[in-house]
Amino acid sequence: MIDWLDFLLVLVSALVGACVVVSAYALGIRLLTLSGRTPLVTPAEFTDAITIVTPAEIKAAAKRAAKAAKKSPLTEGQKRLALIGAWGCFALSAIAVLVGIYLILGEHLTRLVGGA
Amino acid sequence: MDLTLIVVLVIALALFFDFTNGFHDTANAMATPIATGALRPKAAVTLAAILNLVGAFLSTEVAKTISGGIIREGDGGVLITPELVFAGLIGAVVWNMITWLLGLPSSSSHALFGGLIGAAIVGAGLGAIDFPVVVSKVILPALLAPLTAGLVAYAATKLAYAITRRYDGKPDGRDGFRYAQIFSSSLVALAHGTNDAQKTMGVITLTLVAANLQSPGSDVQWWVIVTCAVAIALGTYMGGWRIIKTLGTGLTDVKPAQGFAAETATAATILASSHVGFALSTTQVASGSVIGSGLGRRGSKVRWRTAGRIGVGWLLTLPAAGAVGALAALVAHLGVGGVIIDAVVGVVVIIGIFMWSRRSEVSHHNVVSEVADSGRAVKIKRNPKPKRKAKK
Repeated sequence: MIDWLDFLLVLVSALVGACVVVSAYALGIRLLTLSGRTPLVTPAEFTDAITIVTPAEIKAAAKRAAKAAKKSPLTEGQKRLALIGAWGCFALSAIAVLVGIYLILGEHLTRLVGGA
Repeated sequence: MDLTLIVVLVIALALFFDFTNGFHDTANAMATPIATGALRPKAAVTLAAILNLVGAFLSTEVAKTISGGIIREGDGGVLITPELVFAGLIGAVVWNMITWLLGLPSSSSHALFGGLIGAAIVGAGLGAIDFPVVVSKVILPALLAPLTAGLVAYAATKLAYAITRRYDGKPDGRDGFRYAQIFSSSLVALAHGTNDAQKTMGVITLTLVAANLQSPGSDVQWWVIVTCAVAIALGTYMGGWRIIKTLGTGLTDVKPAQGFAAETATAATILASSHVGFALSTTQVASGSVIGSGLGRRGSKVRWRTAGRIGVGWLLTLPAAGAVGALAALVAHLGVGGVIIDAVVGVVVIIGIFMWSRRSEVSHHNVVSEVADSGRAVKIKRNPKPKRKAKK
């Protein structure tokens, strides 16, 4: 007997879980950028030829970000609020991941801890 | 043949299979964050190994599907013998090695199921297979899970780009998704541990039940969980070093936002599937996500020929591994001599291909081929213009 409900459960839980996590994080990035703190990843040293961003590229990106932050129409207070909002969104994203793991595996984990 | 010896042989082969699974699949979790610069290779590989180890302890639903679902358990225990499980494993390992050598898209999980089913049919007849369980827990998830992951990745990518899009040309901060990829790729590694390590736990449990060393329907034993967790973690670590040595060019054009969405979709699909006992191919799910997230970017198109080639490779795995497993079971039916022939052929194939792999140059083609190939099934425009004009 095929339990189609299981397939629906997988689809809905994966869709809702992934969209909540990604949206919250993306919103956090948007707010962080609005607050004038555009995230930039500095070049990393690798063991082979991978070059993701060069020092020159990161310098140019930092310059662009600083220029954009200077021209921001937001007041300092609004920027602070955006920053708080950004960290709130990142926290929401992390909590969504933990809740998702607990909902999926919590029963087993409880049994595992209870049995130990 | 001595029962203890055959049980030990099966367990050793199953753990070797688990090791190769981790070795092969590190790329699924960690290729993207390494390639986008989110994680240093050494950190990525260590993290993947640890999380695979942890993941293996988090669920046993998939193990139950394999040990007590696919193979029918009769009144007096399962209808197959440890020799047949051994033949099935040989079928899976040999098919895996052949496809790896020829560069064909394949799934080690489906090779395992195919090998077991083929060996069981030859050795114990059609009645040994619980076909409704095979259809509902293996075949349908194999078809639907990559589609689910693709759909979820498509939606998540669209959302990530829509929320961060700037029409005024100012920095959009999407570099920040690289940090998120540290967590999303960790989730994939954790999810991989919850699903793939369990397949080996299921096979070992099935062998113990078949040898009357464990009662049918009972839980997976703790030492089985521990050994499988350690084997997959070790394989992940060793496989990762190979990637560190070789990963450089040739990965598909995966942007951090897209990579984050794809990995989150992969992890969510695998974790939810592990919960309901679907025995998935994590490679297929990761590939589905990469294609879905590629389509979620503006101006992308599917290269149907590449997508079709990958699909055909996946469809072939189950029956082909089944045929190899059946052949190995036929040989094993000859008695002790048959099992020895199977073991010798298996060892020769493994050593031969290992030597071949040492001789040939290791590159992205034979390290991250499957998931990277899936990315090539989507043609993405570089820097498409935004549709809405900026307000002046």
